[in-house]
Amino acid sequence: MGLAAKDRIRAKLKEDETTVRLLLAHPMHTGRGKNDTGELIPAEYIQDIRCWRNDDEVLTIKCGTATARNPYFSFQLLGGQLGDKITIRWVDNIGAKGTAETIVG
Amino acid sequence: MTDNSFEQRRTILKGVISASTLALVAASGLLLPQRVLAHWPMDAFNAKTVEDALMALLGHAEFVDDSVVEFKVGSPPSYAVNGASVPIEIQSTLNDIERIAILVEKNPNPLAMSLDFTPAVKFPFKSMIKIAEDSLVIAVISAGGKLYRTSRMVEVDIGGCA
Repeated sequence: MGLAAKDRIRAKLKEDETTVRLLLAHPMHTGRGKNDTGELIPAEYIQDIRCWRNDDEVLTIKCGTATARNPYFSFQLLGGQLGDKITIRWVDNIGAKGTAETIVG
Repeated sequence: MTDNSFEQRRTILKGVISASTLALVAASGLLLPQRVLAHWPMDAFNAKTVEDALMALLGHAEFVDDSVVEFKVGSPPSYAVNGASVPIEIQSTLNDIERIAILVEKNPNPLAMSLDFTPAVKFPFKSMIKIAEDSLVIAVISAGGKLYRTSRMVEVDIGGCA
Protein backbone atom coordinates (compact mmCIF):
# COMPACT_ATOMS: atom_id res chain seq x y z
CA MET A 1 0.00 0.00 0.00
CA GLY A 2 2.99 2.27 0.27
CA LEU A 3 1.59 3.78 3.40
CA ALA A 4 4.70 3.29 5.52
CA ALA A 5 5.67 6.88 4.94
CA LYS A 6 3.60 9.42 6.81
CA ASP A 7 1.46 12.23 5.54
CA ARG A 8 3.07 15.52 6.40
CA ILE A 9 1.41 18.85 6.97
CA ARG A 10 2.76 22.22 8.03
CA ALA A 11 0.89 25.43 8.63
CA LYS A 12 2.59 28.71 9.27
CA LEU A 13 1.15 32.12 10.07
CA LYS A 14 2.81 35.09 8.48
CA GLU A 15 1.30 38.53 8.82
CA ASP A 16 -2.36 37.84 8.08
CA GLU A 17 -2.08 34.70 6.01
CA THR A 18 -1.73 31.09 6.94
CA THR A 19 0.33 29.05 4.52
CA VAL A 20 -0.53 25.37 4.48
CA ARG A 21 1.80 22.86 2.93
CA LEU A 22 0.75 19.28 2.56
CA LEU A 23 2.61 16.20 1.42
CA LEU A 24 0.68 12.94 1.26
CA ALA A 25 2.34 9.55 1.08
CA HIS A 26 0.52 7.75 -1.70
CA PRO A 27 1.68 5.84 -4.81
CA MET A 28 -1.04 7.32 -7.08
CA HIS A 29 -1.14 4.40 -9.54
CA THR A 30 -3.10 5.38 -12.62
CA GLY A 31 -4.07 1.85 -13.62
CA ARG A 32 -2.03 2.18 -16.81
CA GLY A 33 1.43 1.60 -15.41
CA LYS A 34 3.18 -1.78 -15.39
CA ASN A 35 5.35 -3.42 -12.78
CA ASP A 36 8.70 -5.11 -13.38
CA THR A 37 7.10 -8.29 -14.71
CA GLY A 38 4.93 -6.41 -17.19
CA GLU A 39 1.66 -6.76 -15.32
CA LEU A 40 -0.66 -3.81 -15.03
CA ILE A 41 -0.68 -2.21 -11.60
CA PRO A 42 -4.30 -1.66 -10.59
CA ALA A 43 -5.46 1.92 -10.21
CA GLU A 44 -4.95 3.36 -6.77
CA TYR A 45 -5.13 7.11 -6.40
CA ILE A 46 -6.48 9.73 -4.05
CA GLN A 47 -9.79 11.13 -5.19
CA ASP A 48 -10.91 13.52 -2.53
CA ILE A 49 -8.99 15.70 -0.10
CA ARG A 50 -10.74 18.00 2.33
CA CYS A 51 -9.23 20.66 4.48
CA TRP A 52 -10.70 22.15 7.64
CA ARG A 53 -9.58 25.10 9.70
CA ASN A 54 -10.94 24.48 13.18
CA ASP A 55 -14.53 23.49 12.33
CA ASP A 56 -14.83 25.22 8.97
CA GLU A 57 -14.29 23.35 5.74
CA VAL A 58 -12.12 25.65 3.65
CA LEU A 59 -10.99 23.68 0.61
CA THR A 60 -11.88 20.55 -1.29
CA ILE A 61 -9.44 19.09 -3.77
CA LYS A 62 -10.61 16.38 -6.14
CA CYS A 63 -7.90 14.52 -7.92
CA GLY A 64 -7.78 12.42 -11.03
CA THR A 65 -5.00 10.07 -11.98
CA ALA A 66 -2.83 12.93 -13.23
CA THR A 67 -1.86 14.06 -9.77
CA ALA A 68 1.78 13.25 -9.16
CA ARG A 69 2.99 10.47 -6.87
CA ASN A 70 3.15 11.51 -3.23
CA PRO A 71 0.90 14.50 -3.91
CA TYR A 72 2.04 17.91 -2.78
CA PHE A 73 -0.18 20.93 -2.26
CA SER A 74 0.44 24.39 -0.99
CA PHE A 75 -2.09 27.15 -0.50
CA GLN A 76 -2.83 30.22 1.60
CA LEU A 77 -5.70 30.82 3.99
CA LEU A 78 -6.79 34.34 4.77
CA GLY A 79 -6.41 35.38 8.36
CA GLY A 80 -6.10 32.82 11.08
CA GLN A 81 -4.25 32.90 14.34
CA LEU A 82 -1.68 30.94 16.22
CA GLY A 83 -3.16 27.75 17.59
CA ASP A 84 -5.71 27.19 14.80
CA LYS A 85 -6.10 23.53 13.99
CA ILE A 86 -5.75 22.54 10.33
CA THR A 87 -7.13 19.11 9.49
CA ILE A 88 -6.84 17.15 6.25
CA ARG A 89 -8.73 14.03 5.31
CA TRP A 90 -8.28 12.06 2.14
CA VAL A 91 -9.98 9.09 0.51
CA ASP A 92 -8.67 7.08 -2.43
CA ASN A 93 -10.49 5.12 -5.12
CA ILE A 94 -10.36 1.83 -3.21
CA GLY A 95 -11.59 3.34 0.01
CA ALA A 96 -8.34 3.82 1.91
CA LYS A 97 -8.41 6.89 4.11
CA GLY A 98 -5.98 9.10 5.89
CA THR A 99 -6.00 12.12 8.10
CA ALA A 100 -3.38 14.62 9.09
CA GLU A 101 -3.61 17.59 11.38
CA THR A 102 -1.43 20.33 12.63
CA ILE A 103 -1.53 23.44 14.77
CA VAL A 104 -0.76 26.74 13.11
CA GLY A 105 2.61 27.97 14.34
CA MET B 1 -70.61 7.33 -7.79
CA THR B 2 -69.21 3.84 -7.83
CA ASP B 3 -67.13 4.82 -10.83
CA ASN B 4 -65.65 7.69 -8.92
CA SER B 5 -64.60 5.68 -5.88
CA PHE B 6 -63.12 3.04 -8.17
CA GLU B 7 -61.09 5.72 -9.84
CA GLN B 8 -59.86 6.96 -6.49
CA ARG B 9 -58.82 3.50 -5.42
CA ARG B 10 -56.81 3.08 -8.58
CA THR B 11 -55.01 6.33 -8.03
CA ILE B 12 -54.16 5.39 -4.47
CA LEU B 13 -52.93 1.97 -5.56
CA LYS B 14 -50.76 3.56 -8.23
CA GLY B 15 -49.33 5.93 -5.70
CA VAL B 16 -48.47 3.13 -3.32
CA ILE B 17 -46.79 1.13 -6.04
CA SER B 18 -44.64 3.99 -7.33
CA ALA B 19 -43.70 5.00 -3.82
CA SER B 20 -42.53 1.51 -2.97
CA THR B 21 -40.62 1.28 -6.26
CA LEU B 22 -38.87 4.54 -5.50
CA ALA B 23 -37.99 3.32 -2.03
CA LEU B 24 -36.55 0.15 -3.52
CA VAL B 25 -34.43 2.03 -6.03
CA ALA B 26 -33.19 4.36 -3.34
CA ALA B 27 -32.35 1.48 -1.04
CA SER B 28 -30.44 -0.41 -3.72
CA GLY B 29 -28.59 2.76 -4.66
CA LEU B 30 -27.61 3.35 -1.07
CA LEU B 31 -26.12 -0.08 -0.79
CA LEU B 32 -23.62 0.53 -3.59
CA PRO B 33 -20.07 1.05 -2.40
CA GLN B 34 -19.73 4.09 -4.69
CA ARG B 35 -21.92 5.98 -2.29
CA VAL B 36 -18.87 6.90 -0.28
CA LEU B 37 -17.47 8.71 -3.28
CA ALA B 38 -20.73 10.16 -4.52
CA HIS B 39 -19.15 13.59 -4.55
CA TRP B 40 -16.39 12.55 -6.89
CA PRO B 41 -17.39 13.57 -10.44
CA MET B 42 -16.50 10.34 -12.18
CA ASP B 43 -17.72 11.42 -15.61
CA ALA B 44 -15.49 14.46 -15.57
CA PHE B 45 -12.40 12.62 -14.45
CA ASN B 46 -12.91 9.78 -16.93
CA ALA B 47 -13.60 12.07 -19.88
CA LYS B 48 -11.22 11.70 -22.80
CA THR B 49 -11.18 15.28 -24.05
CA VAL B 50 -10.88 18.67 -22.44
CA GLU B 51 -14.33 19.74 -23.63
CA ASP B 52 -16.04 16.62 -22.30
CA ALA B 53 -14.34 16.98 -18.95
CA LEU B 54 -15.40 20.61 -18.61
CA MET B 55 -18.93 19.86 -19.72
CA ALA B 56 -19.21 17.14 -17.12
CA LEU B 57 -17.61 19.18 -14.37
CA LEU B 58 -18.93 22.67 -14.95
CA GLY B 59 -21.90 22.21 -17.24
CA HIS B 60 -20.54 24.28 -20.08
CA ALA B 61 -17.28 24.87 -21.87
CA GLU B 62 -17.50 28.43 -23.15
CA PHE B 63 -14.82 30.79 -22.05
CA VAL B 64 -14.70 34.49 -21.48
CA ASP B 65 -11.57 36.20 -22.64
CA ASP B 66 -11.02 39.10 -20.37
CA SER B 67 -7.77 40.98 -20.36
CA VAL B 68 -8.51 42.39 -16.92
CA VAL B 69 -8.12 38.92 -15.55
CA GLU B 70 -4.66 37.64 -15.13
CA PHE B 71 -3.80 34.25 -13.89
CA LYS B 72 -1.20 31.83 -14.89
CA VAL B 73 -0.38 28.21 -14.91
CA GLY B 74 2.99 28.83 -13.72
CA SER B 75 5.89 27.60 -12.57
CA PRO B 76 6.16 24.87 -14.98
CA PRO B 77 9.11 25.52 -16.56
CA SER B 78 8.03 25.35 -20.15
CA TYR B 79 10.36 22.41 -20.27
CA ALA B 80 10.32 19.60 -17.70
CA VAL B 81 12.70 16.67 -17.70
CA ASN B 82 10.44 14.28 -15.85
CA GLY B 83 6.72 14.38 -16.62
CA ALA B 84 5.92 12.33 -13.52
CA SER B 85 5.98 15.39 -11.29
CA VAL B 86 5.71 18.78 -12.88
CA PRO B 87 5.20 21.67 -10.48
CA ILE B 88 2.28 23.96 -11.22
CA GLU B 89 1.31 27.23 -9.64
CA ILE B 90 -1.94 29.08 -10.08
CA GLN B 91 -2.31 32.79 -9.49
CA SER B 92 -5.36 34.92 -9.97
CA THR B 93 -6.79 38.28 -9.10
CA LEU B 94 -10.35 37.07 -9.52
CA ASN B 95 -12.86 37.17 -6.69
CA ASP B 96 -15.79 34.84 -6.02
CA ILE B 97 -13.97 31.81 -7.27
CA GLU B 98 -16.16 28.75 -7.11
CA ARG B 99 -14.03 26.15 -8.73
CA ILE B 100 -10.76 25.65 -10.50
CA ALA B 101 -10.04 22.86 -12.93
CA ILE B 102 -6.56 21.89 -13.99
CA LEU B 103 -6.30 19.95 -17.22
CA VAL B 104 -3.54 18.45 -19.29
CA GLU B 105 -4.70 18.34 -22.87
CA LYS B 106 -2.78 15.28 -24.06
CA ASN B 107 -3.21 13.07 -21.00
CA PRO B 108 -5.46 10.02 -21.47
CA ASN B 109 -7.87 11.62 -19.00
CA PRO B 110 -7.26 15.35 -19.23
CA LEU B 111 -8.79 16.46 -15.94
CA ALA B 112 -6.04 16.39 -13.32
CA MET B 113 -7.60 18.27 -10.43
CA SER B 114 -10.69 20.12 -9.44
CA LEU B 115 -10.56 22.53 -6.54
CA ASP B 116 -13.62 23.78 -4.70
CA PHE B 117 -12.71 27.14 -3.24
CA THR B 118 -14.15 29.05 -0.35
CA PRO B 119 -13.46 32.76 0.24
CA ALA B 120 -10.99 31.80 2.97
CA VAL B 121 -8.52 30.42 0.44
CA LYS B 122 -6.00 32.64 -1.23
CA PHE B 123 -3.54 32.21 -4.05
CA PRO B 124 -1.04 31.02 -5.03
CA PHE B 125 -2.05 27.39 -5.13
CA LYS B 126 0.78 25.00 -5.85
CA SER B 127 0.85 21.31 -6.62
CA MET B 128 2.50 18.66 -8.75
CA ILE B 129 0.94 16.86 -11.70
CA LYS B 130 1.82 14.19 -14.23
CA ILE B 131 2.16 15.07 -17.89
CA ALA B 132 2.24 12.20 -20.39
CA GLU B 133 3.74 14.02 -23.37
CA ASP B 134 4.35 17.54 -24.65
CA SER B 135 1.04 19.19 -23.96
CA LEU B 136 -0.90 22.30 -23.10
CA VAL B 137 -1.60 22.60 -19.40
CA ILE B 138 -4.89 24.43 -18.95
CA ALA B 139 -6.33 26.09 -15.90
CA VAL B 140 -10.00 26.98 -15.93
CA ILE B 141 -11.43 29.19 -13.22
CA SER B 142 -15.14 29.33 -12.66
CA ALA B 143 -16.07 32.60 -11.00
CA GLY B 144 -19.38 34.41 -10.93
CA GLY B 145 -20.90 31.96 -13.41
CA LYS B 146 -18.22 32.58 -16.04
CA LEU B 147 -15.24 30.52 -17.05
CA TYR B 148 -11.81 32.03 -17.45
CA ARG B 149 -9.08 30.10 -19.05
CA THR B 150 -5.35 30.23 -19.39
CA SER B 151 -2.88 27.72 -20.67
CA ARG B 152 0.77 27.03 -21.01
CA MET B 153 2.70 24.68 -23.24
CA VAL B 154 4.90 22.25 -21.35
CA GLU B 155 7.40 19.97 -23.00
CA VAL B 156 8.50 16.83 -21.20
CA ASP B 157 11.43 14.53 -21.79
CA ILE B 158 10.13 11.44 -20.03
CA GLY B 159 6.39 10.89 -20.09
CA GLY B 160 4.78 10.82 -16.70
CA CYS B 161 1.74 8.60 -16.96
CA ALA B 162 3.48 5.35 -16.12
